[in-house]
Amino acid sequence: MKDRIALLGQPNSGKSTVYNALTGSRQHVGNWPGKTVEKNDGFYTYKGKRYTVTDLPGSYGLSGNSDEEIITADFIKTGQADLVCILVDASQLERSMYMVAEFAAMSKPAILLLNMMDVARSQKKEIDHVLLAERLGIPVLPFTAAESSGYEALKELLARELESPHSLRSVPKLPKEAGSAAETVHAESEAKYLWVRDMLAGVTGDRQAHFELSRRDRRLLSPVLGKFLCFGTIVVGFLAAMIICLPLMGAGSMIPQLLNKPIFNLLTSWNVHPWLVSIFSIILPNTLYFCVAMSGFVFGVNLVFGYLEEIGFLARAAYQFDSLLSGLGLQGKAICPILMGFGCTIGGTCGTRVMDNWGQRMLTMAVVWAVPCASIWTIIPVISSMFFTPLQTMLVIVGILLYVVVLMTVVSKVFGRTLVPENARSGMIMELPPYHKPHWKHIAKEALLKAWDIFRRALRTVTLISLLFWVFSYSGSGNVADSLLYKVGTAIEPVTRIFGLGWRTFMGFLSSAFAKQAVLGVLNVVFVGDGTVLDATFRSAFSVATDNAVLGNAMTEAVSKAEALAFMCACTFNIPCVMALSTTYRESHSLKWTVRIAAFYVCGALVLSCIVYHIAALVL
Amino acid sequence: MKLTDMRPEQEGRVRKLEGDAHFISRITSIGITEGTEFQTIRNDRKMPVLVYLRETLIAVNRPDAERIEVEAV
Repeated sequence: MKDRIALLGQPNSGKSTVYNALTGSRQHVGNWPGKTVEKNDGFYTYKGKRYTVTDLPGSYGLSGNSDEEIITADFIKTGQADLVCILVDASQLERSMYMVAEFAAMSKPAILLLNMMDVARSQKKEIDHVLLAERLGIPVLPFTAAESSGYEALKELLARELESPHSLRSVPKLPKEAGSAAETVHAESEAKYLWVRDMLAGVTGDRQAHFELSRRDRRLLSPVLGKFLCFGTIVVGFLAAMIICLPLMGAGSMIPQLLNKPIFNLLTSWNVHPWLVSIFSIILPNTLYFCVAMSGFVFGVNLVFGYLEEIGFLARAAYQFDSLLSGLGLQGKAICPILMGFGCTIGGTCGTRVMDNWGQRMLTMAVVWAVPCASIWTIIPVISSMFFTPLQTMLVIVGILLYVVVLMTVVSKVFGRTLVPENARSGMIMELPPYHKPHWKHIAKEALLKAWDIFRRALRTVTLISLLFWVFSYSGSGNVADSLLYKVGTAIEPVTRIFGLGWRTFMGFLSSAFAKQAVLGVLNVVFVGDGTVLDATFRSAFSVATDNAVLGNAMTEAVSKAEALAFMCACTFNIPCVMALSTTYRESHSLKWTVRIAAFYVCGALVLSCIVYHIAALVL
Repeated sequence: MKLTDMRPEQEGRVRKLEGDAHFISRITSIGITEGTEFQTIRNDRKMPVLVYLRETLIAVNRPDAERIEVEAV
């Protein structure tokens, strides 16, 4: 039975939109064997029959310029698809038909989707799709991927073509080898464009004679003003994402508040062991809260940045920041996740979905981790002001910001070599798509899908790590000294001293890997002896504010200035938080790389803390 | 002259592409071949060159743009 469909198209052809609309949540993400390229498989049922869909990696051609192109070409050549659905941008038909010319040599069954018909129509471009179908010998369907109305016809066509497939009638006449490899490639491309021109003769009207940038683009693409506008838009977009997710996060924070007491009372009345009581009344409701908060964030970010991507803004931002970021081995598009990282690492991490390929994406995630999130800016000034004057605190903050740049460079050097190998680094050659009217329904649907996906998957990871932390911080008596954390912490204190961390600040350091906002609470527990580490860590979101004056007194008595400085550095550049860790794993689908990067950050933070401590001890 | 020497609004035609097969393949697959006519849209210092060709606005990074020989028309 023939039921395997593959989607083929250039970047911005709307391929993933069609893929998501066809398969919904029935998707599987993996990696192509031996390659760091994401493999997307899904299925749908139509009239009782099941069809599998493979979303082939987006590329401009099939000539083997990248892993993406090699995989795609192999997949089609070896007949792993029964039908190839080629997507082209109807508003830029001549250029995007090049993909059809590349595909032609493989003589496999295909249909052609003229996507973005809405844009083509708004540009008053007429396309005679009947004539085109006649010339090509395969069905041609005018389509708008972001509108749900066309999918019934698409599914019907796919089913029919799988039964009685058609292959291209006409193929480009390729010239014989013309000297060097470069010359051959060039002669072949020219032949392909000539073929495209023949196919389109009389199909499309005359080409627009003169192009003018729109007023919006004149501003957005100017070298100085444009950078400010892009920067501002991303910041506003991030704030909008926050506003969207706040109600969800608020609702999430109600979960532990509502569940904690009743579960505690119920289980205690059943004489359940206090261990289990604390797991069920504290850990699980909070895990649920973390996951709701996370998926709320993912929803907000995907909604706003899905919108910015669809209208073509992200391509403009990429153009503006490409020169700056190419020094880090990153694409210009990485500017969005990096700036979002200042708000929240989770947001930045899932913002990396705009990157073109997996390697770029993973590298961007690693770089985003170096950006201190908003929570850090709520703890560093507090701790710093306990030890330093306001002016010195300013210097601490400037120092941290400078180190961010250093760390980003180091991270991109360390991981970039493998993730984005030198020979795969090519400068930006990309199209800036025309302004598209946003399809809100479609954007919201994709954002919801993404949020639900993260929620489902993160629940496991976060529960696991929470339980791990719980094992370490649980103390039956409520006294810190009875917890495993204390025992381990004091036992290895001679070692942590090298890094400038006593057992108490080391506990603070460990908690900063769990959640940055937990740091003050945990410090309060270990220095003032107020409350339990468990409460401080898991209930930091709504626990009574710690009395910073009391904590300050207790800390300054026990900790030197050099140690404080080392501690702040260690916390800031540690793993961002357990939720960021989990999001990175979920978004990258690579445990290996997530662990690698996490280990790098923990070690990096300790080394930095060590250096800062020993230098500061000499000076201060 | 090179693509990087074009003035904004100036129209031109691609004369020659200088580079290995990988580069040629990359640049032609997005629509830039010898003989392609284009319109320069922006050419700012340290920024990719923006050209309009085959109904598409395309950004070409500067190092690659320097390998594209063009003539004004």
